[in-house]
Amino acid sequence: MSSSHPVSLRVNDRRARADVEARTTLADLLRDDLGYTSVHLGCEQGVCGACTVLLDGAPVRSCLVFGVQADGADVVTLEGLAPPGGLHPLQEAFRDSHGFQCGFCTPGFVLSAYALLAEEPAPSDATIRAALAGHLCRCTGYQSIVEGVALAAARLAGRPLPAPGTAGRSGGSGESGESGESGESGGSGR
Amino acid sequence: MSRLVGARVPRVEDDRLLTGRGVFVGDVRLPGLLHAAFVRSTLPHARLAAVDVTSARAGPGVAAVFTAADLVGRAGEMRLGAPPTLARPAYRALADDKVRFVGDPVALVVAASRALAEDAAERVEVDYEALAAVVTLDAALDPASPPLFDDIGTNVLYREHREHGDPDGAFAHADHVVTLTFRQRRQANVPMEGRGGVADYRPATGELVYHAAHQNPHALHVELAQLLDLPAERLHVRCGDIGGSFGQKAYVSREDVAVCAAAVALGRPVAWIEDRSENLLAAGHARDEELTVDAAVTADGVVLGLAVRMTLDEGAYQLSTLPSTIVPTIVRVLLPGPYRIEHLRFDATVVATNKATYVAYRGPWEAETWVRERLLDVIARRLDLEPLEVRRRNLLRAADFPRRMITGPTMESVTAAETLEAAAALVDLPAFRDEQRAARAQGRYLGFGLATVLEPAPGPPDYGAAIGAGAAPRSAQRAVARLERDGTVTVLTSQSPHGHGHQTTLAQLAADRLDVGLDAIRVVHGDTRYTPFNRVGTGGSRAATLASGAVLGAIDELADQAMRVTAQHLEASRDDLELRAGRVQVRGTPAAGRTLTEIAALAETLHADTGAASGAPPGIEATFDFAIPNGGWSQATHCAWVAVDLDTGLVEIVRYLVVEDCGAMINPAIVEGQIRGGVAQGIAGVLYEWFAYDGDGQPRTASLVDYLLPTAVEIPTIEIVHLESPPQGPLDFRGVGEGGAIGAPAALTNAIEDALAPFGVTVTDQYLPPTRILELAGRLA
Repeated sequence: MSSSHPVSLRVNDRRARADVEARTTLADLLRDDLGYTSVHLGCEQGVCGACTVLLDGAPVRSCLVFGVQADGADVVTLEGLAPPGGLHPLQEAFRDSHGFQCGFCTPGFVLSAYALLAEEPAPSDATIRAALAGHLCRCTGYQSIVEGVALAAARLAGRPLPAPGTAGRSGGSGESGESGESGESGGSGR
Repeated sequence: MSRLVGARVPRVEDDRLLTGRGVFVGDVRLPGLLHAAFVRSTLPHARLAAVDVTSARAGPGVAAVFTAADLVGRAGEMRLGAPPTLARPAYRALADDKVRFVGDPVALVVAASRALAEDAAERVEVDYEALAAVVTLDAALDPASPPLFDDIGTNVLYREHREHGDPDGAFAHADHVVTLTFRQRRQANVPMEGRGGVADYRPATGELVYHAAHQNPHALHVELAQLLDLPAERLHVRCGDIGGSFGQKAYVSREDVAVCAAAVALGRPVAWIEDRSENLLAAGHARDEELTVDAAVTADGVVLGLAVRMTLDEGAYQLSTLPSTIVPTIVRVLLPGPYRIEHLRFDATVVATNKATYVAYRGPWEAETWVRERLLDVIARRLDLEPLEVRRRNLLRAADFPRRMITGPTMESVTAAETLEAAAALVDLPAFRDEQRAARAQGRYLGFGLATVLEPAPGPPDYGAAIGAGAAPRSAQRAVARLERDGTVTVLTSQSPHGHGHQTTLAQLAADRLDVGLDAIRVVHGDTRYTPFNRVGTGGSRAATLASGAVLGAIDELADQAMRVTAQHLEASRDDLELRAGRVQVRGTPAAGRTLTEIAALAETLHADTGAASGAPPGIEATFDFAIPNGGWSQATHCAWVAVDLDTGLVEIVRYLVVEDCGAMINPAIVEGQIRGGVAQGIAGVLYEWFAYDGDGQPRTASLVDYLLPTAVEIPTIEIVHLESPPQGPLDFRGVGEGGAIGAPAALTNAIEDALAPFGVTVTDQYLPPTRILELAGRLA
């Protein structure tokens, strides 16, 4: 049961490795072994979508993927969407539309919205709502989230969506909390 | 002069939350951290014959396993202090002699990881002697049902009878008496983050730091100190980012007590991060109430008086810090709402059942609006009047104020009627009725529903008195403002926001007063070592008024101190100085002045009092207490348009409109977010959510696969129109946290009944899933 397996992967364009049990989910690997605490666990059964990450470019619920399945994969968590200190255009749009309140469901919504806009640069409101229907938010009633995605699409106006970690205004207000370093320091298990 | 207040200022919180750098309780990492998992009862009602933890203790990575016996002497008995009229059973953090609901914590396993703790939890062997479960209201009211608490001896814990005005006279003068029994179903708060805590006990100093996700950190601090028998000053409750609560993370929970006791016993930090199953089973439910209402009505549709019998199912273990009786009490006090209802008889009953604890859920007293607004529609239908017209005949109008509600609170500057009229002007009702008739002729069922809400946000001082001293902790709220060496200002509030954006709104207020940017203000909350004491943190729609008043008072006082220090330094008169762009300067000679950074340095040697030897301390820091002013009512009228599909039973919300008046808005985007989030929860309670137990007391909806939360596809666009009535005073900000959730069930069920009118339907059950819709329309056998 407790035999461990080495896993090597790239997270937010950094190499990372950890030894995990076969039963360890990708979510637990990212949170507990590698310190990417943006991966939020809201249900651990694939309903709420809060733990969504990009796995080789596609959004997945990391609570439904085993860590060993991510061996050799390329993972993007919310920490890696914009360069350190910056905001991706999608994050800026969510901020400007007051997309979220408590912020717990936010990481999953942002990454799914990223995947949507990467595929469909000018989605209708109905398309946005359908694309986000795999995520639960208890605070907003969803309207501001839909507006945030639409705002990002409108601002990009057909220009390609910047890839994770490549673009974003630098100089976020630096309100980071104690975990501010977690995104930049993947490493082996602690 | 105002630049930030009133604007849709982006939130200070968002840079960290949108980049994944928030710190929630589950993100707290400490050296040597252990992880907790609870063994929970699988039966709703049973005696505990034996709990064998031998095998679990030997499990890999297990540090300890605690049962109720192991916590004796480490964690005290939990028992509500008041009111005396409510039977208040005592209980322990872990079940001792009996289990009383599915999910009841029986043992606590602490291990090196959550996975290992769960492994060991499965090795705990519990020997149950099953008892009959008390599940329904009828069973709880039956004297023959087995009592949950042997020493209480009954499951009927509370009965109260109150009369206001002359209800007998009202019924004697009535042309009609309308009698209906209304039922609301159990709902779960379901914050996206469950409950949790990380207890960090430091044996060397005897200090316990509890990292918590909590609405009321100071109350948690006080209660934990008492239950753990620790000196209160050795405790420290810290809240970081909180993933929602909606009334659920507001008490001292049995799990909090057990986890803290375990950390103290082990001398090591212990984390308890609830999973969704635990959250749905054991974190509490709300809304489980039945109300039978008689309405005395004239032939013209004027409501003379009401007689109500309300029964509330508080589940098994009543909260030890908030009596469930507060809910029927507030329902009684607010039932007349914005209407001229002069006579009221109210009987309240609280019962215990083998279900999870009843907790507050956004707009806990929502039944008052739902029942009243439903009743007005039923009256309209019986008298063949428009529901809008019945409301017009009963609503109080500007000329009626000030007046006192028959239940006590003073109504001043209430604009509920104005919200109704504004809504009516936006709704072309005759055109809708034509459309509805035409649609019915084609077999399509459209409906329109209205509801008018009066929200104490926070309500006037005598509202607190009306709901009772024990239920209404001191309302005055304190804020502290401190000028830092870098010229920024730290504001300490007793609020504990969890999605409300107070780091933004309170900073907007402070920044405007000091004429500085938002980044010059830092709002600190949720840390009992630093923030001002108040048993209530964030809840009850009180921040907009109370926290704002306290912060503005503290900032004004801070500005005054800064002026005095500068005056002393410049040998100028304080009255000749002004504050501009974060700088104190001589009026008319702006070159002569000092920045806040310079003033902070000056204040280390000079002090604010020019009387030289006053002994005033160095530095600039101000404290201000702000109490509830008069007024304090928010109001809204909700309108829902629906299309009901009688092939599938599905209800489509075609349009949803809220016309509201909450006074001046600090940040309209945050106001609208509160309203929309509340409406979504209200819609969910009607169409999707019911935490159901079967007849044996087994939960049927213990995962998010079965307990249905609506998604972006189900919740419609919610239009909001803000009314701006004349200011009620110098501080005219009022809350909006609960009105959305309160108004939506009424407007939506009214719209559904309107759609189903051809079938002679009266909606009395708030939960209307497709099967129920088809049943009401006679489409199911």
